[in-house]
Amino acid sequence: MSPLRGNLEERLDALFRAYRDASPDPDASPNFMPHLWRRIEARQTFAFSLRRMAGGFVTAALALSLALGVYMAIPRSQAYSPQSYIEALADAQPLDTPEIVGTVSLDLSDPGM
Amino acid sequence: MLVDFELIKRAQKGDSAAFNEIVLVYRKRILGRISRLMARSEDVEDVAQEVFLRLYFSLDQLRAPEVFEPWLYRLTVNAAYDHLRKQRRRQEFRISDLSEQQVMMADAAAGGKVERDERDRRKIRELVDSLLSEVSESDRILLMMKEVEGLSLKELEEIYNVKENALKVRLFRARQRVLKAFGSRER
Repeated sequence: MSPLRGNLEERLDALFRAYRDASPDPDASPNFMPHLWRRIEARQTFAFSLRRMAGGFVTAALALSLALGVYMAIPRSQAYSPQSYIEALADAQPLDTPEIVGTVSLDLSDPGM
Repeated sequence: MLVDFELIKRAQKGDSAAFNEIVLVYRKRILGRISRLMARSEDVEDVAQEVFLRLYFSLDQLRAPEVFEPWLYRLTVNAAYDHLRKQRRRQEFRISDLSEQQVMMADAAAGGKVERDERDRRKIRELVDSLLSEVSESDRILLMMKEVEGLSLKELEEIYNVKENALKVRLFRARQRVLKAFGSRER
């Protein structure tokens, strides 16, 4: 390190020391503590409301899940049929139904002639 | 340590009186550190309150009362850094808005010894603040903690939670930049 550089380093150290002496610890204003406690209480209130809201959501979600569970557990008569698919189809569309078994007519006349 | 471990343990258990006492004991020191870390004096009290607010809500996470002071200084560094980052007005100093002529008039008006002393102190503060504006906010805080507050590398290691060598490198680089700016002003 050059002597000039060393000298600059020392002067910078002296400047930092002078800065420390020129900036004493300031005194707090009389409102410091009341203001601090107001901020703590405000944050606590916010956190409490957030927790209460989250708790409300959890309760509502649980109640909804319970209601859905009960709803799904109740047996419904038409929900599950003991019949097979073919049997159910045959019941719904009997073979003697006219629109299924009726005759099909074909018009063979040529409209162009 | 300015307070005993018992007081910290009581505050950890939610004792408001104990917490109040801790704030009263450390308040002046924290205000001093913050005022030196930041150039804007009007925000010092606000940032100090933020430090104690964070302390109040994180005190239960403190592992052992022995590490209370590094913990508090870490909160101070973080709060000051957050504030500086938000501001991003690094060139704005207390007297920078005044013209050269206004400054000279103000100096001339301050004739007494007390005023002269205050003027000298203000010049030193402004010079250091302007030199530190050459480095980032985080390096400014690191340099301040080391060079002005006089914290050892061991203490800084506890506050920053990084290896000593990494701190040394960072401090060296930041100091070199400040030194370069200081040298160019000296010429």
